[in-house]
Amino acid sequence: MKILTEYEAKKILSKYGIAVTQGSIAKSEDEASSIAAGMGFPVAMKISSPDISHKSDVGGVVLNVKKDDVRSAYSDMISRVRKAVPGANIEGVLVQQMAPSGHEIIVGLKKDAQFGHALMFGLGGIFVEVYKDVSFRVTPIDKKEALEMISEIKGYPILKGIRGRKPADIDAVAQVLVSVSEMAQKENIVELDINPLIVGEKGAVAVDARAMVE
Amino acid sequence: MLESIFYPASIAVIGASNNEIKWGGRILKNILSDFKGKVYPVNPAETSIQGLVSYSSVLDIPGEVEMALIIVPAKYVISVAEECGKKGVKGLIVVSAGFSETGNNELERELVSIVRRYGMRMIGPNTLGIVNEPAGLNASIIGRLPRQGSISFITQSGSLGLALAEWTIDTGIGLCKVISTGNKADIDDVDLIKYLDSDPSTGVIAMYVEGIKRGREFIDAVRIVRKPIVAIKTGRSKRSAKAVFSHTGSIAGSDEVYSAAFRQAGILRVDNIDDLFDAALAFSCQPLPLGNNVAILSNGGGASIVAADECERQGINIVDLSEKTREQIKSVIPEFASSSNPIDTAGTVSFKIYNDSIQALHDDPNVDAIVVIYVHTMMSNAMPPAEAVVEMKQKCIKAKSRKPIIACWMGGAGTEEGVEILKSGCIPNYPVPERAVKALSCLIRHREFLEKVKIDAEPKDKMGRCK
Repeated sequence: MKILTEYEAKKILSKYGIAVTQGSIAKSEDEASSIAAGMGFPVAMKISSPDISHKSDVGGVVLNVKKDDVRSAYSDMISRVRKAVPGANIEGVLVQQMAPSGHEIIVGLKKDAQFGHALMFGLGGIFVEVYKDVSFRVTPIDKKEALEMISEIKGYPILKGIRGRKPADIDAVAQVLVSVSEMAQKENIVELDINPLIVGEKGAVAVDARAMVE
Repeated sequence: MLESIFYPASIAVIGASNNEIKWGGRILKNILSDFKGKVYPVNPAETSIQGLVSYSSVLDIPGEVEMALIIVPAKYVISVAEECGKKGVKGLIVVSAGFSETGNNELERELVSIVRRYGMRMIGPNTLGIVNEPAGLNASIIGRLPRQGSISFITQSGSLGLALAEWTIDTGIGLCKVISTGNKADIDDVDLIKYLDSDPSTGVIAMYVEGIKRGREFIDAVRIVRKPIVAIKTGRSKRSAKAVFSHTGSIAGSDEVYSAAFRQAGILRVDNIDDLFDAALAFSCQPLPLGNNVAILSNGGGASIVAADECERQGINIVDLSEKTREQIKSVIPEFASSSNPIDTAGTVSFKIYNDSIQALHDDPNVDAIVVIYVHTMMSNAMPPAEAVVEMKQKCIKAKSRKPIIACWMGGAGTEEGVEILKSGCIPNYPVPERAVKALSCLIRHREFLEKVKIDAEPKDKMGRCK
């Protein structure tokens, strides 16, 4: 069993046609600075370590970093995380585009002893932790079933657009679900979270992901 | 092949006994009480058992043996099964325990390999046997043959299945088959559901499930079965307490996955044993409604509101009645009573009130299903309204109508004679309105499964019509 870093997990997502926020791993302040410059500001910076899966819990996530702050953000983060998780194997800092605005969605997979893989969909971010407003399917699923599982959650009207708000691109989310269903067996996934997947009026982007593979 | 187990021409009981307290004695006695085929007791220590010649080996039996029950200590099962194979036995029911359920996986694998080598099929090991009412076959330790019915019950817990089968006899629920699956080393849920789907005497399948083997095959096999399948799956909660890697991992307990799988397969998952048999009873004697618009008729306002509330919870629509229907109902109920749905006759009860009201509701094209409630009082008689319901059902059958009628006769001892009329008229009756409505909701949900999930299924069964 192997835990993948966000960077590695997103590589798999990309392979299956899922849009991800672009980024590269910086191993020094200089590298962080040049990656960020090539991407446009502000950027998101996240610690990259196979030993750390909940990055924000250890001070390993800084968002909206401006041009002048990239170097200090890099060195501060490294020292903060070293202190929080002594001995962790730190590969560097993932410097990334900031996420577009939209609804936070969670899409996940879990290998199940009886049925193969279970696919989960729900409102992401803090919602999944508090309300657990999610729906499940056993994979594989088709687009029709994906749309059905999206419509099953209580928060569905939020995605449809309430009180005059523009509807989210539900079709794009359904496509992500189908793609994730497809990768379950092929990539030997044990567990996967795409959290959040940000869905706006057009398109859905995986902003963070963690995965465990066999 | 499973036909050899459920409809055998001849049976060997290996490990038969004269002592009826022993399993081998009890099961033989049960088989002999109703089964019309040939029965051969096998026990090398006896010359005659329960009035029959006892054979020392299945190989000594002069005639053919189609099915054998094995009720000997685990260590002898392998050699006995081998003899059955040599004899040309087609089906085995292995009652003996002491296999994978106690960690003896190797012994179970050996048994399965013998079963496969000789082309036999096997229920068990560690089963409490099977009952097939249409064949008069009680190859189990259930005390009596169940009443005739179309419910087939697959149970992973032997003792629970046993207790429930006995209970159905007392409550008047008819059963077709009871199958204690045991360890499911050979025949498992997928095999049984496929078989019961093709079995003309089974109308509805009820399941008590602890765990499913071959999960994905199970979904694919069940998805094309049109007969209703109602299941209770135990072991909810029990999420692993250890720290989990992902949110998905922490939320997707095995129970959530089972719920998803059952939905995808078109299995109605119910919460408890009452719901399981309540739903099975409704399926066994009522057609599937064409939609989810229900009308409620009651002689008591309180009971009809309870029913209406449960409809709300189950997503069932309390439909607006047509003007014509309301006029018809108004003409038979008192002026102060309510002719709008739910209909409240304000305490008045008679054959005519119930008969004419149900007729009007039945004729209303807006109504898909009818819940009829009777609340007993000192001033009313439970029988006339029950007769009205039964008569209406007869009319439905003649008219090939697709509107189920579900009854709820409330009030204990005073309702008993009315309840008997409903039972003998094959009307599903429940003691409280919530249970009646929940049972109806299963009929509606199954109809939805047929439209959404089971679209590839061949329409080969006869469910969904008035019997």
